[in-house]
Amino acid sequence: MAETGPQKEPDEAMLDLLIKQVSEGLSPEEQRELDVLDNEVASAYARDLEHAAAAISVAGTGEPEPMPQALRARIEAQLEAAMAASAASGAAARNAHSSTVRSIGAAPRPQSRSTAGWWAAAACLVLAVLGWLRAPLGQGPGTAPTPAQQLNALLAQPGILQIQLDMTAEPAAAGAKADVVWDPRTQQGVMRFVGLKPNDPAQHQYQLWIFDGDRDQRYPVDGGVFNVPPTAGQVVVPIHAKLPVQAAKAFAVTIEKPGGVVVSGLEHVVAIGKAG
Amino acid sequence: MNSTVLQRMASGDVAAVRECMDRYGALVWSLARRLSRTAADAEDAAQEIFLDIWRSAARYDASRGSDKVFVATIARRRLIDRLRKKGGEPPMEPPEALESIAWSDPATEPATAIDASHAARALQELRPEQRQVLELGLMHGLSQSEIASRLSMPLGTVKSLMRRGLMRVREYMNIEIEGVAGRADG
Repeated sequence: MAETGPQKEPDEAMLDLLIKQVSEGLSPEEQRELDVLDNEVASAYARDLEHAAAAISVAGTGEPEPMPQALRARIEAQLEAAMAASAASGAAARNAHSSTVRSIGAAPRPQSRSTAGWWAAAACLVLAVLGWLRAPLGQGPGTAPTPAQQLNALLAQPGILQIQLDMTAEPAAAGAKADVVWDPRTQQGVMRFVGLKPNDPAQHQYQLWIFDGDRDQRYPVDGGVFNVPPTAGQVVVPIHAKLPVQAAKAFAVTIEKPGGVVVSGLEHVVAIGKAG
Repeated sequence: MNSTVLQRMASGDVAAVRECMDRYGALVWSLARRLSRTAADAEDAAQEIFLDIWRSAARYDASRGSDKVFVATIARRRLIDRLRKKGGEPPMEPPEALESIAWSDPATEPATAIDASHAARALQELRPEQRQVLELGLMHGLSQSEIASRLSMPLGTVKSLMRRGLMRVREYMNIEIEGVAGRADG
């Protein structure tokens, strides 16, 4: 650092706390202990020691391991969307209703999750909005189609996939039916459900997954999270694939923690269906 | 040019995202892999770190250190926070399987991160046991208690080695950087 180090020396107890802070973090009790010590000296040394620890980390990284391409693509999309969300204040959610079909947009991820979850929600929203604007499916300029309208538009397209999903033995799937309409050309699709058990978003959410034949099957592409409200009859959910899907081989729905997950353990699959 | 990436990120230039990933992706991923309990954790952490980088980019001051060390600082904060929250979970690698660290050679690798180069030089001057304790703590994410257990040392000895080692690196870095600043001023 270009700054001259602090003149006043910390005592050994303070140094031990500061070093623990930068190497493994402090417990709440230790943090309180540090807070009552000389704040000026502590903060100056904390800055220096944190910088030294980070410099050691960089020096010890040598030839860093390249980030997996799929993760990089996810992060890029997330960052771009978060930056766009930050720039475009006041984006409004679009939930539309029709007389016969309950249309549900991708659910926002709860704020109670980590900040990444919050930003992922913003990213989903912006990606969805950008996606609609780029491929409006015959709608007027600036008019976002509802999922039900998107379904109708998709059904009129040539080359779409229509897949009946098999419901599993998960209690939430009891008596439910589901299918998928997916357009490989535009990378857009919807899932339709009837009878899927309503969820409490504070407890868990449903998450869509797309198994791409060109990707490692352990890591299906995240298609977004959604909720089923208590009064829903038929539910239409747009699929928001977070990565390009080259060859959709299967679709699945899982129950995950609020906000969804990056990689699912597939412990609670409620529906799955193979293409072709 | 390097600070420009962070400045552009701070200003909301979406076109800078790819450049940011090019420059820091491997560094962040390597740190996340080392300091996460599972592979899925490392992926989650990497996502959070890049959002932190974007949110903190405006605070980067090139006169206070290199951009890579700035990014590593942000990454370490997030990773340590996550490790603390997952304290009870087993590590990704069993402690006996920890791979040795390939420290960059400051003599042959004129660092793109000058402060990292100074840190590497300072590490070379430490006693082997000081270097070993710092390596286990800072690079492998072992707690002081875990280091004590692994090296069969009293906890107080581990604390002392880490304290003296890290203070020595800090002093060396301050002297070197003040020297560089002095030469630049002269």
